[in-house]
Amino acid sequence: MAALQTSAPPVSPPGQDRVIVKRKRTVAQRFRSDWPLLLMTLPAMAQLAVFFYWPSAWNVIAFMDYSPHRPFWENPLVGFAWFERLFNNPYFMPALLNTLKYSFANLLFLFPLSIILALIMHSVVSTKVRSVFQSIVYLPYFFSWVLVVTVFVQTLGSDGLVSNWLLDFGGDRLSFTSNPDTFMFLAWLQWAWKDAGWGMIIFLAALASINPSLYEAAAVDGASRWRRMWHITLPGIRPVIVLLLILHIGGILSVGFEQYQLQRDAIGYQTTEVLDTFIYYRSVIGTEGPSFGTAAGLFKGVIGLILVLIANSVAHRLGEQGIYQKS
Amino acid sequence: MTAIDIKLKPRRKSARPVWDEEPSVLGKAVKALFLICYGAAIVLPIWAVVATSFASEESLASAGGNLLLIPTDFSFAAYQEIFDGGALTKSLILTIGLTAGGTALSMVLTIGAAYGLSRTGSLLHRPLLMLVLFTFLFAPGLYPSFLVVQKLGLFNNYLSIILPMALSAFNLIVLRSFFMNSVPTELLDAARMDGAGEFRTLFKIVLPMSKAILAVIALFYAVGYWNIYFSAVLYIPGLETQPIQVVLQRMLMSTQGLPGAAANVSQYQSAAPDAALKMAVVVCTIIPIVIMYPFIQKHFTKAVITGAIKG
Repeated sequence: MAALQTSAPPVSPPGQDRVIVKRKRTVAQRFRSDWPLLLMTLPAMAQLAVFFYWPSAWNVIAFMDYSPHRPFWENPLVGFAWFERLFNNPYFMPALLNTLKYSFANLLFLFPLSIILALIMHSVVSTKVRSVFQSIVYLPYFFSWVLVVTVFVQTLGSDGLVSNWLLDFGGDRLSFTSNPDTFMFLAWLQWAWKDAGWGMIIFLAALASINPSLYEAAAVDGASRWRRMWHITLPGIRPVIVLLLILHIGGILSVGFEQYQLQRDAIGYQTTEVLDTFIYYRSVIGTEGPSFGTAAGLFKGVIGLILVLIANSVAHRLGEQGIYQKS
Repeated sequence: MTAIDIKLKPRRKSARPVWDEEPSVLGKAVKALFLICYGAAIVLPIWAVVATSFASEESLASAGGNLLLIPTDFSFAAYQEIFDGGALTKSLILTIGLTAGGTALSMVLTIGAAYGLSRTGSLLHRPLLMLVLFTFLFAPGLYPSFLVVQKLGLFNNYLSIILPMALSAFNLIVLRSFFMNSVPTELLDAARMDGAGEFRTLFKIVLPMSKAILAVIALFYAVGYWNIYFSAVLYIPGLETQPIQVVLQRMLMSTQGLPGAAANVSQYQSAAPDAALKMAVVVCTIIPIVIMYPFIQKHFTKAVITGAIKG
């Protein structure tokens, strides 16, 4: 199970494929030679244990009537009662639907945009233009959401730069940084501004790995520019597209917290409530209590786990490599 | 005759391969227009932010807005305000400290585990690797993580910002595959023959050969810590000095006339124009990223893409 490999598995270097006969070593012998490696791994494992596996185990309180004020073992088991309560919560379904809506919108919009950007960049021959444009386009990927939202409010908000231009020309102020009806459009602009460049870089790297002699051979055979793109370029970047799709499908219920929380007050909670903000506002700082929030998070985590496994096995069946190989 | 023909042919200006047909003028124009518009949409807002941060009250008022495209005068009032030792200075110092400390810790964890797990067949290699890889598939959830921070007594403690995000399994796997694929095994074997222990091998051979990728990973961690917002909202809501992103968010809320920030903003009110001060804070959060950026860019495609996607 090698993570994140799309190309062929590494071939062992020449000279190593001869059969090495090793005596089976006991655990004590292996410990004596490998203890420094274990020691080096220990801090990272401790971090994972405390901040990944321990909280993962705490998910059991989704099945308990948990209260922090009594000893852990005295909390009564309640089965799936919290999940029932979650699904009956009037704010849960809208939050879930919003999450799916933004997730699919992101997929349907950002993916093609990144690929188109990468194709355009790839067709630019001048290396100077390419490097200048690349450095500009993926700079905002490293900006925080706070920064992105601030810049958007300042330029496109009702007191912002564009509104002032419009006023000068006798128009009206823009209102869409605070208009719930156009939030989807705003979100698209923000993704395009912040993340499209990053997607472009990944696809560009995939494009660069396509053997140029394929293009040459096709051109010699009379294939036009578009046919070359259809028969060489797109199949060439298919493994990367599949890999990113699987990762995206696994994270379909994780659209991020910050972009929505930061615009919650301006846009209104009905439009910006996604699962993460739902958990935070209803449970962490709200009144619904720990078990409720944990149930919502566990629902999200389990759906994500199932979706990754399904997407990956579908990818295997289609002959792609996916995020991990069957081994 | 043919020799003259060849001589008269215009020389190809670009590096376009011979078999590739020259695109039409219209196609080129559309492409150029698209690239220019896209680039301008990214650069102009950033430029306006920088220009506004140096603006004085009068020029802002005459422009009638929050942002200026063309600065008419220069004023450092906003930056004096930030660095005068008040709440903003403290916030910047805190954020720099969190970034430096967090990145150092992250690098220790990541390098240790990446090297420790880079030898197939070592003791416990496979189960430990599985423990790392499982983090790609599942997320423990917001509330349980919050609960653990509380149980550890780290609530409203700056450590709660660093520790939970100290290890990125993705970076760990990228670095591990670099150690496995790009550091020659012969070199490691030779070192072992000469009696060097694992620690010595790591510090004297492996790390010096991995400088570029180590720098990229460190920068990714640093950007992550620098941009911290959500964990501060979640884990340290009660502390007076907040990371710079939280401060920026509060200032943003106050100019939008929104509730939820009013109580906290008074401490940042100042003599400098409101918009200029806010944009100066934005510039301060951008500057470190812009400084690190050329480096990330130089080594990024080489190090991370080849490490992660090509395996």
